[in-house]
Amino acid sequence: MSDISEINQGGASRLHRMITDPVNIAMLMLLAILSYLVIWPFVQLLIETLTWGQGDRRISREAVPGEFTWFHWLQATTGPLSGKMLYGPLVNTLKTGIAATILALLTGGILAWCVVRSDMPGKRWLQPILTLPYIVPSFAIALAWEAVFRSPKVGGQPGVYEALLGVAPPEWLSYGAFPISVTLAIHYFPFAYLLVAGALATIDSQMEEGALISGASRLMTLRRITFPVVAPAFVAALILTFGKTIGQFALPFLLGAPTQFHTVATMVYANLTLGLDSLAFVLAIVLIVMSLLSIWLSNRFVGNKSHRFETISGKGFRSRVIALGGWRWPVFAGVVFFAFMVGILPLILLGVQSVMLIDGFYGLDNITSHFWLGKSDPEIAFGEPGVLHNQIILGATWNTLKLAFISAIIASVIGLIIAYITVRRAHNPLARALDQISFIPFLFPTIAFGAMYLTLFAEPVGPIPALYGTFTLLVLISVVSRLPYSVKTGVTAITQIGQELEEAAELAGASWTMRFRRIIMPLASSGVLSGMMVSFVGVMRELSLIILLITPSTRVLMTVGFGYAEEGLAQLSNALVLIVAVLTIIGELILMWIGKGKMARLREKQS
Amino acid sequence: MSKIYVHNLSKRYGSATALDNVSLEIESGEFLVLLGPSGCGKTTLLRCLAGLETPDEGEIIMGNRVVFSSKKNIMVPPGKRNLGMVFQSYALWPHMSVRDNVKFGLDVLKTPKPVAEERLDEVLSDVGLGHLDKRYPSELSGGQQQRVALARLLATQPPIFLMDEPLSNLDARLRMDMRVELKRFQSKAQATTVYVTHDQTEAMTMSTRVVVMRDGSIQQVSPPDQLYRQPQNTFVADFVGMPRINLVKLSAETEHGSIFTNGDVRVDVGWNSKCSEIVIGARPEDIMISDEKSADAEHYEITAVLPNGPETIVQLTRGETTLITRVGHDSALAEGQTVWVHFKSSALNIYAAETGALISPETVKISEAG
Repeated sequence: MSDISEINQGGASRLHRMITDPVNIAMLMLLAILSYLVIWPFVQLLIETLTWGQGDRRISREAVPGEFTWFHWLQATTGPLSGKMLYGPLVNTLKTGIAATILALLTGGILAWCVVRSDMPGKRWLQPILTLPYIVPSFAIALAWEAVFRSPKVGGQPGVYEALLGVAPPEWLSYGAFPISVTLAIHYFPFAYLLVAGALATIDSQMEEGALISGASRLMTLRRITFPVVAPAFVAALILTFGKTIGQFALPFLLGAPTQFHTVATMVYANLTLGLDSLAFVLAIVLIVMSLLSIWLSNRFVGNKSHRFETISGKGFRSRVIALGGWRWPVFAGVVFFAFMVGILPLILLGVQSVMLIDGFYGLDNITSHFWLGKSDPEIAFGEPGVLHNQIILGATWNTLKLAFISAIIASVIGLIIAYITVRRAHNPLARALDQISFIPFLFPTIAFGAMYLTLFAEPVGPIPALYGTFTLLVLISVVSRLPYSVKTGVTAITQIGQELEEAAELAGASWTMRFRRIIMPLASSGVLSGMMVSFVGVMRELSLIILLITPSTRVLMTVGFGYAEEGLAQLSNALVLIVAVLTIIGELILMWIGKGKMARLREKQS
Repeated sequence: MSKIYVHNLSKRYGSATALDNVSLEIESGEFLVLLGPSGCGKTTLLRCLAGLETPDEGEIIMGNRVVFSSKKNIMVPPGKRNLGMVFQSYALWPHMSVRDNVKFGLDVLKTPKPVAEERLDEVLSDVGLGHLDKRYPSELSGGQQQRVALARLLATQPPIFLMDEPLSNLDARLRMDMRVELKRFQSKAQATTVYVTHDQTEAMTMSTRVVVMRDGSIQQVSPPDQLYRQPQNTFVADFVGMPRINLVKLSAETEHGSIFTNGDVRVDVGWNSKCSEIVIGARPEDIMISDEKSADAEHYEITAVLPNGPETIVQLTRGETTLITRVGHDSALAEGQTVWVHFKSSALNIYAAETGALISPETVKISEAG
């Protein structure tokens, strides 16, 4: 075999192969970048609460900026203000969170059963309406509530309730725990609904039929078969919904702050506006811990039980619909009424409010298009021109679309790359680490995440400039906060692309970049496109994530709307939130269209 | 010149060994089939040749070029090995038309457009898809998809073809036709072909040599007829052939004698095998039955008659021993009938029971026990 050439044509040593593999390079780079953008901010936040800040010299004479101290933690937990700063808000958070969760799950669960398992008519068009409250910004629901139950006792004009009944609503109905719980429940019941509906849809009726054949009564079947199977998903939905409610900021702020009713999330914001940064960060950490606890609990629960209850077998799957009989139409009417009340009425209220010259007076002569079309008039709304003439708002609209567009694209592409690495290098511990890091932002309540970025990018660090106040920072945080979702979408897309498709290209001699461009990207595109749209809508309606990072030049629609609401300019904020709501609904419609059309066609091709 | 040498190749996944010190020489232009039950390592070996898996140890040489060597730390990536592969799933890119699928490899090689187009037309009409080149894979039948995969392999004219169970997704009829087609293209291209399958009919009909694998190591490398006639061990004997070979375990009647029995069957192997226990292997067609008594025949009872088109499978029982034999479809046999059995002794293979290895092809005599 002397003629065998040992010249290394195209061959390479193992080490050389490893360090020149573009997948490995991408993996290491992403690990480094994400560590800095996800883990380091949390550490920084923690450090911030444990050291004296510049502003602390006002509070304490002992303060030496940069030195270690327990002061902020002690101040929050045992100081004279601790009741007002921490324990009160904590109790309020738990109170509203638990109440909202139970309400959301009850309504969501019942509706899910009606839609998935009963023969209720009109399911097809009811489902999108039922998910509307979760699609529109949570803060739209708060504004709509205010429009009805606003009370002059707390300032401002009377709401619909007073205009119709002639008496002011009781304060507990206007502000505080009750309206916050109810509006949170309205915003989150579709979330619970989707989770429970998903679980219900996986029940194969053959399981129930099996029980019926063995002689069990219908009630016994429900109790012994149906419920235990759905239970893990139900509990997980319970905990996840709770975890989501506690991070809500805008909604409890609008309905609580006027009467000094604070949750932990609103307190973070309130403290920051008061300049008590370190205290705000302590609260942010409290919030993160609560969120981590709830997700850990839910994972523990689902993790222990879900595998046993794996019911999706793909074979012989049949879901039998249960006949409601005489109840069919009453149930239908009830669901339609409910869907209208929570899905459509709030938007109508916002619309009506935005065309009233003087807020709170309900009559035809009070209708104006000023807040939409009018030029600046010092007599009305401190001279703020109508939405369609307002430079601030036009700028904010442009910023919103730009932010949502850029973030969605970047998040999707990076999400796809991370997904590729985690799926194709499943055995590499670094790839698994990357997957986990990209999931971490999901665990941070958005307002706390904003607080972290506030501390991280306030000053330049090494080559990284102080990004505070820049549009780049908004893109950065939006992208990172969307990663958990875009990676999941990406993983689904990549898993559907058989490895052999790529190997065939590899054998033809295509480099990794060529394979990614010509095979992976086109095949993943349908899934990624819908993921991109989800991100687009998500970023557009985001408020609590970026509220702490916004400066006048980087305003977006949601923060401008929030600003108007804070100032009491209800018509303008309503108009703005309505714009965002309509934009998000359009986005969702496009998404549904993509899902039905292009995606379905491509999926067919892939199979 | 595309001879392939595989030296001492090993591949482990964690604690499981997929390839255990495998060595093999594949002649230029040969059609070599890797045959074995699932999990035997045949696909791993093929993927190591392709470069899709990196072996842990050993060396692979293609033509005059080392493409893998653990000692010299060489690993030529798949695209630089100058080979083509047909996957079990065909791995057609669903978002590209038939033409684009076939063209991809030419694109990678940066073939000038007029040359590429000409080659495409030629290959597509060769495989009979000239009129379907604008279609997408999902719009083709299974057989047509198979042809696209084949065209993709042929387009770049590689000297080595690798095929991973390419026909397993086709229905039985189509599989027959495609076997002929594949063989035609392979001999036309004069390509060294390594073909993985678990279907022995495919292995027997298409190959120049068959490699039978089990648990990551090679059991036998033989031309197909020899593989059938003279399996090297009981595993190969049992794996090859349908219906299965009759393997009967016997013990020596006297120490160092030539007569073996299990109480039902008695065999005189005619020479001293130095084994205390042997296994005899008799193909169903090597057992002849007759309903007339003869001196050197044993009598068996028919316990099952299974007609199967041109032939009929008959199960025979004598005491604890069961034999399967194959007779013509016109024989009138019934369950419960007693028949006399003759072994075509020249076709019997004898294996050492302890190791399962073939010990002699020599003629043996079988007579009735007791």
